[in-house]
Amino acid sequence: MIDYNFLRSLDFSVSWTYLPVLFGGLLTNILLTVIGFLCGGVTVGTVLALANLSPRRLVRWPALAFVEFWRSTPLLVQAIWIHFAVPGLTGVATTPFQSASIALIFNVAAYCSEIIRGGIQGVGKGQFEAAHALGMRAYATWRKVILPQAVRLMLPPLVGTIISIFKATAILSILAIDDLLKTASRLSTFTFQPVEIYTTAALLAFAVGAVISVSGYYAERALKRGASHGY
Amino acid sequence: MDIELVLRNSGSLLDGAKVTLAIALVGATIALTFGSAICALRISRSAVFRAFARAYILFFRITPEVIMIFWAYYCIPLIFDANVSGFWAGSVVLGLIGAAFLAEIFRAGIEAVPRGQKEAAESLGLKAFPKWAVVILPQAFRFVIAPLVNYFSEFLKNTTLLSAIGVMDLSLQAYLLGGRTYQYITFLSVIAIIYFAMIFPVTLYARQLERRLGSQGARSRPARASFFSLLKVPREAT
Repeated sequence: MIDYNFLRSLDFSVSWTYLPVLFGGLLTNILLTVIGFLCGGVTVGTVLALANLSPRRLVRWPALAFVEFWRSTPLLVQAIWIHFAVPGLTGVATTPFQSASIALIFNVAAYCSEIIRGGIQGVGKGQFEAAHALGMRAYATWRKVILPQAVRLMLPPLVGTIISIFKATAILSILAIDDLLKTASRLSTFTFQPVEIYTTAALLAFAVGAVISVSGYYAERALKRGASHGY
Repeated sequence: MDIELVLRNSGSLLDGAKVTLAIALVGATIALTFGSAICALRISRSAVFRAFARAYILFFRITPEVIMIFWAYYCIPLIFDANVSGFWAGSVVLGLIGAAFLAEIFRAGIEAVPRGQKEAAESLGLKAFPKWAVVILPQAFRFVIAPLVNYFSEFLKNTTLLSAIGVMDLSLQAYLLGGRTYQYITFLSVIAIIYFAMIFPVTLYARQLERRLGSQGARSRPARASFFSLLKVPREAT
């Protein structure tokens, strides 16, 4: 069943030769992960979470619809849609990398906004009421009372999403960005050695995923320990 | 939006939707069977089985899905010297990935059943089969069902990844129709709505189950604190 002659003919020196190229692709994935987490998860995610918690229906409902829609459609469809719709609607032609970033940012933001919202809601009404009773203004309430507690609650799950974001960046290669997968498929048609190239690519991706996941585990544990001390 | 154009091509879209559902069906079947098997290995007494299950779960949860699909599609036919269609290569890989996630969901469910239940069953002299089939698993099912449905909605989203290796699922059909008519936005918007209509009810159902079964009476028992048992791969808070 297994073609042993073929297995014996495998020559992994080709992956060694093209390792720098694959690393270059991997770097794109990591860059997209960072963009997705910082711009999407932290920035847009916070805005969406606050909009979702707004007492005004006019703000809350569109935000809710946005989050549900982005969470319930596949990233691949979102990415292609953005790539064709943004130039069509705004007249600005985006490069594949820009389209991919936009899709990733909104996708990650939709997921993370739920975590952030959960963190803020986890603080408890009494804290708002206590701050109000002490005569604190809105800014002071958020800055001194709510956020320090909410951030502790939301950071562990937020760190946990980084590995999902990294996995999602591989999907974006559909838009012809020079990421790990695209680089690998180009190299495999160029060298005619798909098994060596794809295996190396998969192992590289696994290694990065493992690093993210292990450091995420320690970060989460450290954050939880910090949370239990409190002040 | 050109509704008439979409309706004229609804046959192709329907074919695509059928392929998407077929992938989901094949993948979910594999995920459920293999997931149960991996979970059984994961909680077995043999250290070798446990190590194997941990390695399997670790690998399949953190390697990007698309890369594994590409690997299977291009490498399996060469290594095994066989013809493998993109549909089967992709759905089996998705199923194997699902198995890793489901194994962890099942394990969490089994561990959420209080230890006293198992001890009670043992002290009543129940053999292994009735102990599991009558006492532990029915209780574990309660904890498992909501995350299971939730994962199925993730799974439906992952079926689109097979379009990258040329499986004619809903997303690829729409993309090709877009290319033929230069109406990309129309077709892509339509399938975005179709996907939403397929996935959103599943998510809502999972949330309802979670509300009904999840919190009430859920007594969580901390899992043994080893590195791998605590290695958390994100499940977004709902």
